[in-house]
Amino acid sequence: MTTWNVRVNGREVSVEAPPMARVLDVLRESLGLTGSKEGCGEGECGSCTVLLDGRPTCACLVPIFQVEGRELCTVEGVAGTELDPLQRVMIEAGGVQCGACTPGIVVSLRALLDRDPRPTRAAVRESIAGNLCRCTGYERILRAVEELVGSEEADA
Amino acid sequence: MSFMQEEKRPGKKKIKTTRVVNGLDVEEEVWVDDLEAPLFKPREECRLLGTRMKRVDGPAKLTGAAEYTSDVRLEGMLYAKVLLCPFGRAKVKIDAAPALASKGCVHARQLVDETKYLGQPVAVVAAATPELAEDALRALVVEYEPLPWVLDRGQALAEGAPEVRSRGNLGRPTEDGDAGEVEAAFAQCAVVVEQEYSVPVQHHVCLETHGTVVDYRGGEDAIVYCSTQSTHGIVGDAAESLGLRKAQVRGIVQHMGGGFGSKFGLERAGTLACEISREQKRPVHLMWNREAEFLTSGNRTGAWQRVKAGANKDGRMLAMSSDVERYGGIGGGSHAGLPYLYSVEKSLRKHASVYMHLDTNCAMRAPGHPQASFAMESVVDELAAGLGMDAVEFRKRNLNSPAHLRQLDRVAELIGWNEHPNRTAPGSVDGFEAVGIGFGCSRWGVGGSPVCQVDVRVMNDGSVTAEVGSQDLGTGTRTYLAAIVAEELGRPLDGVQARLGDSRMGNANGSGGSTTTPSLAPAVQDAARQMRGVLSVAAAEHFGCAPEEVVLDPDGARAPGGKLTWLELCALLPPEGASVRGTWQSDLAVSGVACTQAARVRVDLLTGRVKVEKMVCLQECGRPLNRLALESQIRGAMTQALSYALLEERRVDPQLGIALSADLETYKIAGSLEIPEFVALVDDDDLREGVAGVGEPPVIPGAGAIANAVFNACGVRLRHLPLTPDKVLNAIEERKSS
Repeated sequence: MTTWNVRVNGREVSVEAPPMARVLDVLRESLGLTGSKEGCGEGECGSCTVLLDGRPTCACLVPIFQVEGRELCTVEGVAGTELDPLQRVMIEAGGVQCGACTPGIVVSLRALLDRDPRPTRAAVRESIAGNLCRCTGYERILRAVEELVGSEEADA
Repeated sequence: MSFMQEEKRPGKKKIKTTRVVNGLDVEEEVWVDDLEAPLFKPREECRLLGTRMKRVDGPAKLTGAAEYTSDVRLEGMLYAKVLLCPFGRAKVKIDAAPALASKGCVHARQLVDETKYLGQPVAVVAAATPELAEDALRALVVEYEPLPWVLDRGQALAEGAPEVRSRGNLGRPTEDGDAGEVEAAFAQCAVVVEQEYSVPVQHHVCLETHGTVVDYRGGEDAIVYCSTQSTHGIVGDAAESLGLRKAQVRGIVQHMGGGFGSKFGLERAGTLACEISREQKRPVHLMWNREAEFLTSGNRTGAWQRVKAGANKDGRMLAMSSDVERYGGIGGGSHAGLPYLYSVEKSLRKHASVYMHLDTNCAMRAPGHPQASFAMESVVDELAAGLGMDAVEFRKRNLNSPAHLRQLDRVAELIGWNEHPNRTAPGSVDGFEAVGIGFGCSRWGVGGSPVCQVDVRVMNDGSVTAEVGSQDLGTGTRTYLAAIVAEELGRPLDGVQARLGDSRMGNANGSGGSTTTPSLAPAVQDAARQMRGVLSVAAAEHFGCAPEEVVLDPDGARAPGGKLTWLELCALLPPEGASVRGTWQSDLAVSGVACTQAARVRVDLLTGRVKVEKMVCLQECGRPLNRLALESQIRGAMTQALSYALLEERRVDPQLGIALSADLETYKIAGSLEIPEFVALVDDDDLREGVAGVGEPPVIPGAGAIANAVFNACGVRLRHLPLTPDKVLNAIEERKSS
């Protein structure tokens, strides 16, 4: 066991884990942050997407030793005391059903919007191309972002 | 109009009341809601029902706060994992001692001596952390002696093939119809099509895998958290595995990450977790990994369908014969039968299952229907093309339900059929790309079950709860549970707290076959109406009027005698509040809903890639409760159908006896890049008073519509799903050279 120092959702945390422990397990087991889901454990479904230094990353693929001194943001860190506007429009537009893919999608979209506050629909599609959803059909997720940024742009 | 005829209004009744007019008491008759009749309010009077309501569990799901089974963390909990057999079939010998000696491992054992199907769990371990459980799995010393297997049709039906079951690998066929009559009817046909259509095995791909967390520490009580479609349904199996009585076991299903038919019982993961928990007297967490999800949690039956069908020159289908093989692994397989949905005058059919050493099929969103629909919609389209007849017109001549007839017109209009050039003949394979439109229809029986018991309680501080031991698979059950009560009592949606997913609450059926809504919503409405009666009586006593004269609205209660705020009204209740229990009302459940879909595709004639550009769906559902949820169900179903049409296929290597598509890289499902423009519409011409679920019907016709659209675009008929670019390109080249 080694102690790792990571900034998680804006807080400095020290956590003990073997170097090859997956970030996903550290988040879920050691830190109690179960918002990030394990859908496949091999980087295909995107349910465990977190931001690593601001970039969307599958937490199931990254060992803890690689994030020493770096910054993680999980779905729990997207909202402050109130819902993030992105989370609000996802509910209003109907971009969520069972919700198992939702945390990863929220994180992927947050990263997109931080990078590009007025993305095209094609860019929104691209940003969640690594997040599988089996319930909603994605369309309302795309629509939610359009409602948020006030664009009605069709696909490029 | 006759004066003698008594006027009737559904859900209303006339009462006599006294009013003071110019200082005189005048008796008059007024229409009021019949509080004895548990009907919904008229559509136009509803503030919530029939609108687009935000799901009440939205904030919990969007922030990661919603606790799923896999998120349950308990003091002293063990993590269990299973080892899957990598062979089609094998004898297994496992030395578990090294695993038991590994760090943190407390349980390791062999599950079977000989496997029955590819991927069957052969060992289970439990350890203090997920990583230590993985270590323990690796420490198992496993010897496999591969046994002969049958993993495809050819192997299964070969002479001397190893038997999957004692009665042979070809199940006894079921047959009906009169061969002589059908032959005679074929003789009358102007066009006859004889073809084979196949569909692969499809997986559910729930984003949350199957799994259970058992909280048992010895003693007499256990709580079982399970990702299941049936909160009440798991209790019996859990009790048996734990060695407890049913009344000692409590099932909890707060949030669950998709089921689609695959999660009805406690399932293997659940019984294993219970057995380990019973032995260790510690909580146990056992979730399938994705590989187990693919190999050992059920699937949609594959099928090979030989079909001969004929129509006369007027486009009436006169004859059909079909021979269907179902591929359901070690299970029997399901198929809805041909001629699916359409009326054909004379039909002869034969169905049989072919058994293989593969995981059994199970229910999956409209079990057996998409398979039949794909073949039927294809053959219908081929007959229309053979006659040079408009595909919409041909369908209308062979469908009986008025709902389908009007839906076809509307859907044709919405997809742009009337302006489309290829209405009576397909496009060509010349050029770079081609655009086509295709159609498909479905119908689903729905129907409710009378088991639900819904408790509504109003406390004298104004708080309201509605509870029942049903479950919300993500479909929106929780939201309409609150909304129906809020509507009836005049409360805002957030003024009612909906509670479900606990077997200690009132009875409820499992969520399958689109029956949750027609089973549950009528019972909720019954409870809501009763509670309105209780509150109306309390207000009426206060005002000195008849209970029926009391109106509950967002301001509280009003009656001819005055007004009360909601809090003032509830303060009239006794300290323990008021509670009622609602039960099922058959009048409020719809049986039979029609669905019609159209797809527009663009076929890249150089690469064979099919891009679905637009899908339209018109879906009956009786009275719509929450349009946001209904439309989402419809879009999600169309997406699964698109995925079935273009991408999904369970693949194995029959020679090596191994799985080739047991992960999300090799088993592709539709992602955000594949999604077309969706027009998902609730059919508002369905004016029935009852409600229906729509989980199943919109998943059925999409694949047929897409394949028909490909034909319509460029004249190539693809009869074997999925429509991958290689198949499309081959067909294009074939048409070019013919």
